[in-house]
Amino acid sequence: MNIELRISQSLYQSIHADLSRKHSFTAERVGFIACASGSLSDGGLLLLAESYLPVADDNYVDDPSVGATMNSTAIRVALQTAYNQPISMFHVHRHEHRGLPRFSGIDLRESQRFVPDFFKVQPHRGHGVIVLSHDSAAGLCWTPGVKDPITINKVVVVGRPTITIRRAHDQY
Amino acid sequence: MINTNSRQSFLGPKSAAEFGGQQIGIIGLCGGGSHIAQQLAHIGFKHFLFCDFDHVEDTNLSRMIGSRPQDAEQEEKKTVVIRRMVIDINPSASVQLMESKWQDQAEQLRSCSVIFGCVDSLSARDELERFCRRFLIPYIDLGMDVHSSNQGFSISGQVVMSLPDQVCMRCLGILRDEELAKEHARYGAAGGRPQVVWPNGLLASAAVGQYMSLILPWSQDQVPSLLLEYDGNRQCIRESSKLSYLSEFECRHFPKGQGLGDPFYVTTA
Repeated sequence: MNIELRISQSLYQSIHADLSRKHSFTAERVGFIACASGSLSDGGLLLLAESYLPVADDNYVDDPSVGATMNSTAIRVALQTAYNQPISMFHVHRHEHRGLPRFSGIDLRESQRFVPDFFKVQPHRGHGVIVLSHDSAAGLCWTPGVKDPITINKVVVVGRPTITIRRAHDQY
Repeated sequence: MINTNSRQSFLGPKSAAEFGGQQIGIIGLCGGGSHIAQQLAHIGFKHFLFCDFDHVEDTNLSRMIGSRPQDAEQEEKKTVVIRRMVIDINPSASVQLMESKWQDQAEQLRSCSVIFGCVDSLSARDELERFCRRFLIPYIDLGMDVHSSNQGFSISGQVVMSLPDQVCMRCLGILRDEELAKEHARYGAAGGRPQVVWPNGLLASAAVGQYMSLILPWSQDQVPSLLLEYDGNRQCIRESSKLSYLSEFECRHFPKGQGLGDPFYVTTA
């Protein structure tokens, strides 16, 4: 399945700005991107980023073994947002380098724990995870009724400039 | 190594990938659209989606690049003529044709990396901009007009770049409800509006330049303008002074993050 994510340049920059903020004890920040959806003529899925939901300072767990761990409130807030609107929800974090990022083993393991919860509140939408680098992005999308995620083929940041990031390899 | 891109290598090492990966949508293939298709094919873009339901007429021959008298005689579709021209320039190009109103096959347009609107009416511009905003597609609109004045005629035009979270054609005063209402009132009785090849060419070149600077900026301080205005009597294109008043303006016609996608979309396994 062809999956493409589009995001406006201003929203993309605001996500980077939030993920760049220092936290008192976590090494990195995370958040959620809410997306509208559309179909593509090849049967693919078009994800259209609407808004960003940062994880509040208080909703991190002090766990030095990983970059950032959310607590249950952070997940509940994201689930509540998805429950109230017809949206796809994507967890987002950033790897501190340039070039195409890849999901780590921990990223994949943790994603498989919390992404299924979003199908309980929005069962007919795709949900997943995005990882950014300083100049690139990659993503995985779970679709209803399918166990394994699908790699997002293309991420397009629309604005001045318009940047197209194409999948270089399967992420999963 | 000398190759077809050697004279445009300043566009950067990613340029070949961009030319191969972008899907170009052009709506309206006569005065403006034919120039744009020709230039993008020369640059090296490979994937095109052309939309025009009309066929070539004698009146088109004075400004439609690539058209021939026999196309008018045979009432050849404009899409077919422009595909022929593009394939002549770039034999490896793939060209999809939509020989109906774009709204009839709008789903195909969602895959476009950019849409160039080369349409005559305000309502068509309005609908295209709404569509592009809904699916986060850069929309580049060309328009020209010839007005009578005390001293003869004046030619004017503009190139608008409509992008998410930026001012729209209503903010810029290109689309106004009263003008749209007037257009609706005279529907079917507008007749042929004056069009000539050289303003179309200038505006199309500016539009292509805008697009290139959007996807392959060749200077770090380059920010393509949202509105270029053309004075056809002085042969001059410049950034609109309106933009200085709108620099902090937030578009209220397309609020950030609202009205995106299919309202009733459902993903099926």
